[in-house]
Amino acid sequence: MASASTIITGGPRHPGHREGAATMVLLEGVSKRYELGGVGVTALDEIDLEVDEGEFVVVLGPSGSGKTTLLNVVGSLDAPTSGRVIVAGRSIGDAARGTLTEFRRTTVSFIFQSFNLFPSLTALENVQFGVDIAGARDIDARQVLSDVGLIERLDHFPHELSGGEQQRVAIARALATGNPIMLADEPTGELDFRTGVQILDLLRRQAEAGKTVLVVTHNREISRIADRVVELSSGRKASDGPPKGGRARVEELHW
Amino acid sequence: MRRTLFWLRWSGRDLRSRWLQVAAIALIVAIGTGMSAALGSVSVWRRDSYDASYALLNAHDVRISLPAGSSLPAGALEDAMRELEERGVVTTAEERLILPTQVDASSGGRTILVPGVLIGIDLGAGGPRLDGIDVTRGRGLRPMDAALPGAALLEAHFADHYALPSAGTILLAGGTPMRYVGAGYTPEYFMVTTPAGGFLAESSFAAVFAPIEIARSIAGSSVSNDLVVRLAPGTGRRAAAADIVEAVRAAAPGIAITVTPIDDDPAYRGLYGDLENDQRTMNSIAYLIFAAAVFAAFNLTSRIVEARRREIGIGMALGQRTSAIATRPLLMGLEIGLLGAVFGIGVGLLIDEGMRSVFASLQPLPVWQTAFQPSTFARAAAIGAVLPLLAAVWPVWRAVRVRPVDAIRTGHLAAKGGRLAPVLQRVTAGRRSLRLMPLRNVLRSPRRTILTAIGIGAAITAMVGVIGLLDTYDATIDRGADEVARGAAGRIEVSLSTLQPVEGPTLGAIAGAEGVEAVQPSLRLAGRLGEAAAAFDVVLETLDLDGAVWHPTIEGRVDPAGATGIVLARKAAEDLGLTPGDLVRVSHPIVAPGDETFRRAATEMRVIGLHPYPMRNFAFLDTSDADAFGLAGAMNAVHVDPAPGADADTITRAVFTLSGVASVQPADATIEILRDLVSVFVDLLRVVEIFVLILALLIAFNAASITVDERAREHATMSAFGVRTRRILAGITAEGLVIGLAGTVIGVVLGRLAVGWLVSGAGEELPDLELFVTVSMSTIATAFLLGVIAVGLAPLLTARRLVRMDVPSTLRVME
Repeated sequence: MASASTIITGGPRHPGHREGAATMVLLEGVSKRYELGGVGVTALDEIDLEVDEGEFVVVLGPSGSGKTTLLNVVGSLDAPTSGRVIVAGRSIGDAARGTLTEFRRTTVSFIFQSFNLFPSLTALENVQFGVDIAGARDIDARQVLSDVGLIERLDHFPHELSGGEQQRVAIARALATGNPIMLADEPTGELDFRTGVQILDLLRRQAEAGKTVLVVTHNREISRIADRVVELSSGRKASDGPPKGGRARVEELHW
Repeated sequence: MRRTLFWLRWSGRDLRSRWLQVAAIALIVAIGTGMSAALGSVSVWRRDSYDASYALLNAHDVRISLPAGSSLPAGALEDAMRELEERGVVTTAEERLILPTQVDASSGGRTILVPGVLIGIDLGAGGPRLDGIDVTRGRGLRPMDAALPGAALLEAHFADHYALPSAGTILLAGGTPMRYVGAGYTPEYFMVTTPAGGFLAESSFAAVFAPIEIARSIAGSSVSNDLVVRLAPGTGRRAAAADIVEAVRAAAPGIAITVTPIDDDPAYRGLYGDLENDQRTMNSIAYLIFAAAVFAAFNLTSRIVEARRREIGIGMALGQRTSAIATRPLLMGLEIGLLGAVFGIGVGLLIDEGMRSVFASLQPLPVWQTAFQPSTFARAAAIGAVLPLLAAVWPVWRAVRVRPVDAIRTGHLAAKGGRLAPVLQRVTAGRRSLRLMPLRNVLRSPRRTILTAIGIGAAITAMVGVIGLLDTYDATIDRGADEVARGAAGRIEVSLSTLQPVEGPTLGAIAGAEGVEAVQPSLRLAGRLGEAAAAFDVVLETLDLDGAVWHPTIEGRVDPAGATGIVLARKAAEDLGLTPGDLVRVSHPIVAPGDETFRRAATEMRVIGLHPYPMRNFAFLDTSDADAFGLAGAMNAVHVDPAPGADADTITRAVFTLSGVASVQPADATIEILRDLVSVFVDLLRVVEIFVLILALLIAFNAASITVDERAREHATMSAFGVRTRRILAGITAEGLVIGLAGTVIGVVLGRLAVGWLVSGAGEELPDLELFVTVSMSTIATAFLLGVIAVGLAPLLTARRLVRMDVPSTLRVME
């Protein structure tokens, strides 16, 4: 886990910056280009982004806008072609493979649209996986699962759970690492409205508890509950600021 | 046409995307078909090679021999054939002079003294015209050699056995020196037999060829005693033999002659006789390996196609007809099968070459042909090509039976453990999630686990079966060696050329020879045990059953109760359905009092015990029962106990020169004969073993590789959570180890059964041998090493793929 001393407290400020809040994610001039079928594609084009500790940021954009690539770069699953990436005070843009593995283990936690739970592990064991790999001995997997409302489903395998329950297990697994940053890629994409709202509420509460939460979605409605909305279009940052019309409560959402 | 090309192109891309696994499965099919074709061709190769070798050296059709000590003036035998030549029955007839002798090829401090024959051959007019010699070392004999003193050529089996130089000097009986100029093979000795009929006797018998003029000079008269004859094409050997007998009798009335068609020649019979029986064992091994290969190919192809179930579901969702849905995976299966058949030709050729070199070293012949046998290969390849196709049918059939929505979901593909779910929950492994996963993965998909384990088990079965057969041969020989080694260390066996009285001078002379500590006389006679079709030949050895120098181990000894007692081999008793105390009919020679000629007689003898020697052709009687043969007080063999510190060479040299001694050999020479007897299998199995090991490794690698593909998403998730690649690999390895262990246990158990099955087949080919079904600890250890460690480590070969995995893309699989 990143220590407090490594967290940047200076640097460029962004709209909605809270005085005294540490910067957990800092992207400066980040671009990502690659070849796709012989054609050059720019997934991210000179992106600057700063996210504070405890902030709930929604990255919004249509398909192909570069939002998943942005999430992958922040989570060190992908490396930028150029630019600087500092997460929790650590520069990860050009770090070695081993360093990045250790970074993911101790700093970020992923939540995927398709859950990606381990089918051979029960709900509790999937959460325990998060505890185990991060070495977060002080975290009780059972308690975390209870916190997401699944105490009744501890010993069920993923195929015995509904989509919403599986996503809650995935969130619990991310929480169980104790890592300060949660990265969620279309976390409600597979879920019905009611279940989706429950998941968003869960994520929102994590931010309120001090976690930095980055949610990638194409669903504009979801952005209403964010502290900040970063909109991407064709790999560029189209806008960055609080939701239009102010932040809504989760129960006000509808789609 | 466009449509066909479209499907071909698409399935081609499928193959390319998994080219490594496809190539490995094709190789597995190739090894199965190639090995099956090669092993199925052994009898064809051997027959072709024998035919070609006999033809190349103009082997005779019929041989006429005069009895020992008889001869006819030079030319008389050939003259007797004139009329048959004119009648077109005989095309070529060539006289020879064959003299029994002793051969002393000692050199460099090594004593080589064996009985043998000097064969005088006609080198005139480019001869020998029949039974030519394929010179392998030095040079052949030339007509001008007839003028040289003692020019000779050695029979190559003998020369090779003792690694004699290409040229040198040997001594014949009476100290006659012969300068041999080379060594070579000739049809009569393609397989060396002694006059007594024993096979594989190159260590104890030497044939020496010389110009007939030199042989006659040694004999002291211009005579011949042997004639080899080539018949006109299409002439029946048996019918011609009768004509030849009449012709020789007319030319030399009163002389007993032996006419032997080549079919009755011991070497010829030895080579051709067991061809079909040998082939049965080879076929059994081929079936075993083929079954392992096709099962593995079936399983692996099935898994590859199963991984495409989601695409099948998409096809269903799009309203594709079932036939169209099935086309792509079926094409893939067919292409894998065809690729395997194509690879199989290469593997088959490789195995053919390996077999050729084994045969060439084991049974040296002028010609060894191991040509690729298209028809045998085609049969195996047809099955090898069709099975992957069938393997593709199964998962397709399963996929089209589910609802499209389920087939599309990858979640549905994730095996759930079915009714094993409650069991899975109990497997906790200390609740450490990463440790849990391998075992859980194994249990959660029991069908896949079982199929993979059986696939690995099939290869292990084939391996244990093949190596276990070798173990069985080794164990059998070792048991024989243990029995031979009983009693005096370094025991030597002396054969006498004639019957001698025990109280006569010979035994005393042997006992007094340098290096001899003690002697024990014995009497060896040829007999037959049992009756009618169940009867078989046996050596009846009469000796002191409690003798100090050597006596057989006797199990279950009983009193003869007034009858002649006989100790049988366990195999002999089993084949005849006898136990100690039973009576057995023994056909044997007997000398009537006052008579010096042998007659045949049959005596009911009591089985007084069983001995553990693995060959059934040895039976023992006590000296007190020698009367049964009318030979009380006679001997024709002597067991010799060397004095402490005396070496075998000293005793051999000292005893061999004694009058009446025919041969002197270490007692364990019979074990060497036993080893030679089974070596044809052993050496071939060594070649087979290599390919079985490759087969097992390929199956292991492919199983691991497919597992990595199937679990790609889980591995990507772990990677996203910061789990190190080596930790992920450790999990895959642990899973492999568990499956490998299960597969190995299955393989060892089935392999042991396979050994029993193979041995029962081999037992029919070697009816005289009691084979002790054995799977040695080293074989089991090798099986576990291969099945557990190699299978467990096979995932390491996929490490590169893991390291290079595109984690974001793998995670982004949509449901």
